[in-house]
Parts: sequence; C-alpha cells; structure tokens
Amino acid sequence: MQLPPGVSSKDFSDAIKQFEEAVGKEWVFTSDEDVALYRDAYSPFMGEPEERVASAAVAPDNVDQVQRVVRIANTYKIPIYPVSTGKNLGYGGSAPVLSGSVVLDLKRMNRILEVDEKNAYALVEPGVSYFDLYRYIQEKGLKLWLDVPDPGWGSPVGNSLDRGGGYLMAQYRNHFDSHCGMEVVLANGELLRTGMGAMPGAKTWQQYKSGFGPWVDGIFSQSNFGVVTKMGFWLMPEPDAYLSGTVYVPRHDDLIPLVEIMTNLENTRVTNGMPDLGSPLLSIPMISEIDKWNAGEGPPPPDAELSALLAKSEGGGSPELEQYALRKGISYWKCKLSFYGAEKANAANWEYAKEKFSAIPGVKFEENESYKLPLTPEQREKVHKPQFGIPSLAMFSIGARSPVNPQPTSGHMWFSPIIPRTGEAIFEANRVFAAAAKEFGLPVLSFSLPSCYWERAFIFIFAFPVTRDVETNKKNRAAFKQVVQRAAEHGWGEYRTAPAFQDTIMGTYSYNNHALLRFHETLKDAVDPNGILSAGRYGIWPKYIRDQKA
Amino acid sequence: MASRREFLQVGFAALTLPISARAAFSPAVSAQTNEAVPTPLYKVVFDERFPASVEFAEQARKLGASVHGIKGDITSLWFHDLDLRWKKGPVAIAGLTAHGPIFCLERLAWDHRMRVVFRADHKRLPDGSIEHTLSGPESVLRRAADLCTDGPNWGSRIANLVTQVPPGRSASGKAAFIAPLAKPTGDDPEPLVSWVIAPIRS
Repeated sequence: MQLPPGVSSKDFSDAIKQFEEAVGKEWVFTSDEDVALYRDAYSPFMGEPEERVASAAVAPDNVDQVQRVVRIANTYKIPIYPVSTGKNLGYGGSAPVLSGSVVLDLKRMNRILEVDEKNAYALVEPGVSYFDLYRYIQEKGLKLWLDVPDPGWGSPVGNSLDRGGGYLMAQYRNHFDSHCGMEVVLANGELLRTGMGAMPGAKTWQQYKSGFGPWVDGIFSQSNFGVVTKMGFWLMPEPDAYLSGTVYVPRHDDLIPLVEIMTNLENTRVTNGMPDLGSPLLSIPMISEIDKWNAGEGPPPPDAELSALLAKSEGGGSPELEQYALRKGISYWKCKLSFYGAEKANAANWEYAKEKFSAIPGVKFEENESYKLPLTPEQREKVHKPQFGIPSLAMFSIGARSPVNPQPTSGHMWFSPIIPRTGEAIFEANRVFAAAAKEFGLPVLSFSLPSCYWERAFIFIFAFPVTRDVETNKKNRAAFKQVVQRAAEHGWGEYRTAPAFQDTIMGTYSYNNHALLRFHETLKDAVDPNGILSAGRYGIWPKYIRDQKA
Repeated sequence: MASRREFLQVGFAALTLPISARAAFSPAVSAQTNEAVPTPLYKVVFDERFPASVEFAEQARKLGASVHGIKGDITSLWFHDLDLRWKKGPVAIAGLTAHGPIFCLERLAWDHRMRVVFRADHKRLPDGSIEHTLSGPESVLRRAADLCTDGPNWGSRIANLVTQVPPGRSASGKAAFIAPLAKPTGDDPEPLVSWVIAPIRS
C-alpha cells in the first residue's frame, strides 16, 4: 500500500478506522486486490513507479457520510479523490492524480431524486449512470431524452464535471453547459447549493441556472474545490421526428465553404443536431458511420491508383488527387446535418440548408434517415444510438486486432485540441500535427477531420497509444507533451486530459504569467487549506505540495 | 497518433492487462476447493460471429447453461438483462468472446463485487496452431490438458472447463497449451478470450 505523502502509518490507520465508522467497515477498501480496481486501465505509467495509485477507497452512501469522510480527511490531512463511476478511460479513469490518495467512490450514491417531464430536467446523485437514468425514463414512459457520451457507461455528474459531450441538440451536447444547479460538499465538510438552490425552499433549482450573485458552478468542474453530491440537468424533450441529410462537395478547397455554411446553419438553428464531417475520397467516416464501417458496411478499399495518390499527397490534398476524385465522381468531403423537431419543420429546414449549400459548384445532396419518433425497436437497433439519446456500449465491440492494427496497444491517452470552426483551420491543423508526428517519431498521421461536439469550435481527438513497453510509453509521453506545446504555439489548447498531462496543459494556459492558474491556487488555498481534495487535478496543487515543487 | 475516428475503427477496447486477474491470482490463494459443485452460471455469453464461440455455446447449452448470443455489442445484454440481474445481487457469468466485451463486462462486474476468476486467451499462431493461455483455479487448469490435443473442437472443450470453475477462492495458477489446428473451424479474425466472472467470497 502506498501511503499518502507526509501521512504517518498511525494517522492513516486511525483515519481508516474513522472512515469505517462513518460509512461502515464493508465500504472501506484497503486490500491490494480491491484498491487495484481503481488503477487506470490505460495508465501511461503502467509498470513504472510513477503510476498513479490509490492507498484505499471509501464508498459513502449519502451526503452526510461524504461530509463525515471529508472532515476526517481534514483532521488527518489525508488526500481524497472523488470519482462518480470512474469510467472516463483515456482521461484517467478512477486513479488519483496524487498517488496515495484515498479514492472517494460515489457509486453507491445512485439515487434519481427527481425527473420532471413537463419542464424537462432531472436531479441526480453522482453514482447514477446514463443507463440508470435512461432506464428510469423508459420505465416511466417519459417523453425525455438524455444527451449521452459514447460509450455511455459513465454518469451524467462525472461526465459533465469532466466537461464531456454528446450528440443531440446543440444546447444539450455540452454536458456541463446543460447542467442546472449543484449541491457540493466543501473541503471543510460544509454543504453548499449553487444557483437557485442557495435559497431555502427554492422552486426553480433545476430551472434557472445562475441564481443571484457570482455564478460559481464552473469552479467545480475540472477542479478540486468541492465534492459534487447532487446535480441537475436539462433533458431534451422527445421531438416528433428526426431527419438527416448529407451534403457532398467535389473539390479539396470546398471544405472551406462547406464548414462556413454548416456553421452558419448551426448558429442560426436551421440545423440543431451535431454536424458530422467525413470524406468519401479519403475514406474518413463520419462519426455516425463508424459503427456501420466496423460492421463491414463501409466503402470498398481504395483502388491501386487512389492508394498511390493518397500515399503521395500531403495534408490530404494534391491536384492529382482532386482530378482523380472529379474523374471518378467521388466527392471529396461530405457533411451530415441532423434535424430534430416537427416533421414539416425538419423538411423545410433541410430544404433551406440545401439552398444555402447550392452556392458550392457541383454540390450534391442525399436525404438519409427520416423517422417519426419514438423509434420502433427495429429502428433502434439500426441507428447510431447516442444520436437518439440511447446509451450504448457498442464501442467495445470493435475488434482489438485488425489489419490496420495488428499489434493492439494496452490503451490510449486522448490528445484533444480545440481549433477554430473553419475549413482553413482544419487544413492548418492537419499540416501542423502531421509535421509534429513526423518530428516526434509518432506513427504517420493521415488526414483527419475534427468533430462538432461543441458549438462554435472544432475539436480534434487523437489517440496516443499506451503499450506494455515502458520505454515506448516514455517516448509517447514525451511526444504527447511536445505535441501539446506545438498546438499551444498555434493557439490551440486542449479541453481535457489524463492526469499525466494536466500540469503540462495547464502550463500552456499561461497568459500574463499564469494568472489563471495563480487564481485557481488562490481559490484552492482559501477553500481547501489542507489540500485534501483531488490534489493536482487539472494542475491545481495544494500549497504544501506546490511549495515542495517550487 | 491516430484520430479518434481512425481509432474507433481499429479498436477502442484495445488489449489491456487484466488488472483484477493479476491481483487475484498472484500469489496463489489457498482455500478449500469444492470441485464437486461448480459455480452456478447465470448466463453463458457467446459471439455469433465466431465459429469457435458458437461451438462453445452449443456445448454449454448441452451442459444445461442458459446461453446468450451477441454480435460484439453487449449493450442489449447489459441493459435488458445483466444490469437488472446484478442489481439484485451478484451472479456468475461465463463467455467466449473477443476482448472488447470481456474488457467491458469485467469493469461493470467490479461495481457488483465480482471478479474475473478464470480467463483463457486463445491466439491463432502463424503456423496454424492455436495457443491457449489460461489463468484460473488449479482444479480447472488440471482439466485443461486436453486442449493440447489437435482438432478443431477447442470451443466445446472450453465450455466444459468454464462450467467447472469452483465457487469462492481456490488455489490458482497459470497454464499454456499449444495445439495444432489442422482444420480451422473458420476464420476467427481476432483473438478470442474465454472467461468466468463470479462473485468474490473472502
């Protein structure tokens, strides 16, 4: 067992006894076997002393127990690391940032406290999974949808606090933005409610976000200022119908007007689902096509001529490649638009979108899915489930070994830079990241398209492999940090990362001599002077460790 | 590095060391083994896409198990069956699947105080033989010797094994067998894993 830094065996043992009194002996885990379950399955430090590991885990059942645990941790200065379901693989899982921390496992707090169909919101505890909430809504026959991430085995609270995203209408896809009201246990054990929840007997805690005065909810996401024990979410009323249509454009540079029109149509709410980019020529599937491609329903592999042209082209384009596409009638780019709403309105919006895209010479259109909702059971099996608010584990059905991945790795770490919503930015990012991959000895990066989970900006999500070879992992970690720096030099920052890189990425948000981080640290010292909560999370270290590092 | 969509195409559930198995089997745990009463299996999971897995299911069914077919995706199994059943209390399941489903099911099982108590990786070698690498109760490994004989029926032999895993903690170990596979049962495009997930009893 790795003890928390600076904590004596006796103090740790005394704290464990008090944790047992607070939550019950069976809910305090100290055996190596039990604690090992909190390791990060995708740790980039696998097999190295630097792997972030817990010393123990405590699983409270209710808010009162969380408060007691926090107070005990304060007494003994035990670092604790709250997790809801701990399934954000690729971003750290349930392993603490600071080795020796005690994981505060909130999975037992799995109560769905309220779901209001008329006003379309839910209030849940951290251990409620997307599947739990989906089941509740289905069993009650409520006409509500959840915006789920993919895979959907995590929790609304955990995913939104990590600022994850989904696939439905724009106002729900950013999971933190779609929350409304929190209950938080502070480091001193005090209970805080945000927004309208600060008013005793408030009738609109889940209906009006900001309450009165400073709106503090944001400081509890990607941070370590409190333990969120309840959270409200706005749910999407089930629409009457769904329609999707795909826009095809023939030339390389058409990506620029394609993105511009797509973004305008989204910002004006003509299309309200997640826009989805792909490339028929470059064999880049749209997100919504990946399941089908994996099931063998993708396009045939490129012929010999196209393969040769692709191998020669840099940055996904060359005059020869474009000529090939025009000669063969293969579109260079495509973009799927989704419409949730009244059937007639969807059709009219699609018609309007087609008018706008018609400004691009050679554009073609294809109407795809058109459903009256709710989906029939047969339709439900055919669709990309997250786009219909259905949690899915299908991602885990993807083969570990394939012709393009003959040596599977032992996991991955996500590199997720945010770039501007323009076609030019896509081309520039591809050039920069391809050159960086070459320079830092990473596998060759083929042309990539970003995703539109968030409004207003694109996100690229790249996987760096985690292997069983220590030296390879060291090399990949170093390369990851170099790519982060390279992105920052171009003004592209990451939205989220695994613990191994949180300091590095926080370091790139350095405007005015790291004024933002210094502000975080000022807050940390004020609200958690003993530094017991999630030490180091998102680069925010408690003073006693910060001083040691300096 | 690969983009997320390329990555999703080639394997989100990439091969990962089974942490729980490592913790559970090393060092060997000594306890009484009751070989006469195997762990009752609530469900045996197979993948309809893989001939060896189908064969495994047929044998498991003959042995009295309730079998459930998937095509890689466990969502329906999870949502309509296991999630509901495990909320009432932990019960054991077994399977012969690709890596992805067991990777996912193992982690879901942890939340219900269950562990992978038997695991065998079945890897096709370039010379056409198949390598079976097993970890689990010694009583089961002792029965596994016939995996090194030739013939394509290893799926049904594995079914015989997983239905004999003893309950609770028992002496455990590792074993490996390489068997010639003169007549492959079909094209299994990826390594398969047989496994038993069961409640832990200390």
